[in-house]
Amino acid sequence: MWSLIRSDAPSDEPVLVVDERVTGATEDVLTAGVTLGMPRRDAEALAPFATVLVRDLAEEARCFEPIVEMVENLVPRVEVMSPGLLFVPVVGAIRFYGGERPLAAEVAKNLGGLTADRRGGEALVGIADGPFAARWAAATATSDEPHVVTDTIGFLSQLDLSTLRATMGGEEMIDTFRWLGISTLGDLARLPRDTLASRFGNPGVLAHRLATGEDRFVNPRDIPSELGVQLSFEEPLESLDAVAFAGRNLAERLLKGLRVAGVAPHTVIVKAEAAFGPSRERIWRSADPFTEKALTDRVWWQLRAWVETAGVPGGIVGLSITPTDLSGEGRQLGMATDESSGIEVERALARAQALLGPDRVLQGRPQGGRMPGERVAWSRWGEPEVERERDPDAPWPGATPSPSPALVPPRLQPIDVEWDDGMPSRIRLGSRWEPVLTWSGPWRLSGRWWAGERDADRYQLVTSVGAFLCVVSEGKAFLAGVYD
Amino acid sequence: MGKPNLGIDGVTSAGSAPAITAPLPPQYTREEGFLHLQPGRVTELIGVPGTGLTRLGLKLLAEPSRVAPVVALDTRGWISPEAAWETGVLAERLIIVRCDDLILWPKVTAALLEGVRAVYAEVPARIKDHDLRRLTALARARKVAVVMRSMGNGLPTGIAHLRLRALGVTWEGANRGHGKLKKRRLMLEASGRGVAGTTRRFEVEDEGTDAVRVVSDVVVDQVRRAVGRAGSRSR
Repeated sequence: MWSLIRSDAPSDEPVLVVDERVTGATEDVLTAGVTLGMPRRDAEALAPFATVLVRDLAEEARCFEPIVEMVENLVPRVEVMSPGLLFVPVVGAIRFYGGERPLAAEVAKNLGGLTADRRGGEALVGIADGPFAARWAAATATSDEPHVVTDTIGFLSQLDLSTLRATMGGEEMIDTFRWLGISTLGDLARLPRDTLASRFGNPGVLAHRLATGEDRFVNPRDIPSELGVQLSFEEPLESLDAVAFAGRNLAERLLKGLRVAGVAPHTVIVKAEAAFGPSRERIWRSADPFTEKALTDRVWWQLRAWVETAGVPGGIVGLSITPTDLSGEGRQLGMATDESSGIEVERALARAQALLGPDRVLQGRPQGGRMPGERVAWSRWGEPEVERERDPDAPWPGATPSPSPALVPPRLQPIDVEWDDGMPSRIRLGSRWEPVLTWSGPWRLSGRWWAGERDADRYQLVTSVGAFLCVVSEGKAFLAGVYD
Repeated sequence: MGKPNLGIDGVTSAGSAPAITAPLPPQYTREEGFLHLQPGRVTELIGVPGTGLTRLGLKLLAEPSRVAPVVALDTRGWISPEAAWETGVLAERLIIVRCDDLILWPKVTAALLEGVRAVYAEVPARIKDHDLRRLTALARARKVAVVMRSMGNGLPTGIAHLRLRALGVTWEGANRGHGKLKKRRLMLEASGRGVAGTTRRFEVEDEGTDAVRVVSDVVVDQVRRAVGRAGSRSR
């Protein structure tokens, strides 16, 4: 529950941390029925008493930095997955500490000393073969008792299929597995891999690998040294803005170079050279190949954490990012897909979003509804899709027929329509009146009377300059769409 | 086999061709086809709201959306993606960017032109000419296909490679309370460098599906052609 640890979270009140879904909640909020991963709206309805905070990953990374340093002092080559989750290769450390349990106990003791008095900072330690199993071993540990898994395959076989979701997504595939009667990773592991490959493609193979404990890249590649990127600065960078710009620039350069080489990074080393003091180095890893946004975010979190915790005294004079795990995963393009263009689009839209704000760069998905404005489920670009409120596959009798108006006002706009013996005769467009040449309707639209909505009639009005969709309710006309 | 050209540089015909009984020069082709954008060119749509130009502009994004994401830049917050989906734009590839700020609009458009292959942009009324010219140069340099629809009195000269002006629109299907809107016929006039300085008229038929078709002959403005010939003889 690392997202609770942020410094601005009130320490004595119920707190709910959300992005689109719940990422953290205090005990009293969980008692009210809120669960992690629940949609934000549902959680707010269940716990209206809670203070709601929007997730701030950069702040979480800053708070996480002392933890990473502490673990790094005990075991080298720490790999950060996300704020609150890190992996450590323990083969060497086991020999040093005399076994897995003493090592786990030592790490847990030191972590507990750092975080025990902070809400959300319960330290959970798990040891298993591979990052996926280790993650879920930690999730099933307690703050007093680290979970050391001796039989990784056996441990994995009991896990629910939903554990795959956090690592690889694949919501639809997981639903299909459940529909087929497969509910645990053990059930999945018993299926032939080639069958999964032919039915689900790469995601199916990845899921099978995770379920069978093969949680490593199977085709590691040699990494040419020239694929790393670095920047030097004559004037040390001290302001966060300058650091952010340099980090983004470097991340873009790295991925551009890797694209040319036809590979994608899963793990990178971010290194910063301080003006006065030693260099700092941190490894970040990702289950999926880093996208430009994901890598830029992680570089930014890391640099901000170093700058704000005075980890780079005198400012940064050198920056480098070096890929350490590369694969060709995710590079198989569709015949008609232009991958490089997709990356450029992503960058362009991110800039537009930075200029306008997240609510102005949108993506729509079809959903059900009777009026044109109801039939689009809007989501912010780059964020998880908002759940549809209405089923698009339901019949929706009485829906306004196609063609749809190309212009739909966000709210119904009052408009003047003249009537002649119950039939529309003129419509006011701006300052002039246009005769209605013909029309269709009225089509009755029954409102949700229990929600205070009234019945209305819809008309398609045709003039010499175009056609309009109007709604008439209680004698007043409203513009619902323009067939532009 | 390449797409037959309708004699309008920037608007070409695609799709299956019915039998043609007599050989015709390309600009007189009677083939049905879809409108088609060209990279690096600005197409201007001119006409009052209601004539069907928004739908036509969105339709022009359908083909680029099969390859990469496309953007509709919306100044009023009214553009409905549903109409775009009906014309064949892939839902997962259409991004709507809403910008009503006169100062931000050129910056946002420039940011989009840096990475997007095809953009349908509503142009606010008081955008400065030099901003539009810089954006046009950027679109040309980045080979972005751009459709612009001015919310004011049209774009300044020299911006659009091809201008499509709505001359009139007729609807079929609705009849004094009966039926429903079914088919729209939009008469367009094409002008600009895309038609070699001449003026041509053609009709677009829209049945509310992705089958937006050029259905009538491309009619050459005979007066202008005559003037052009006279000019060439005098040299």
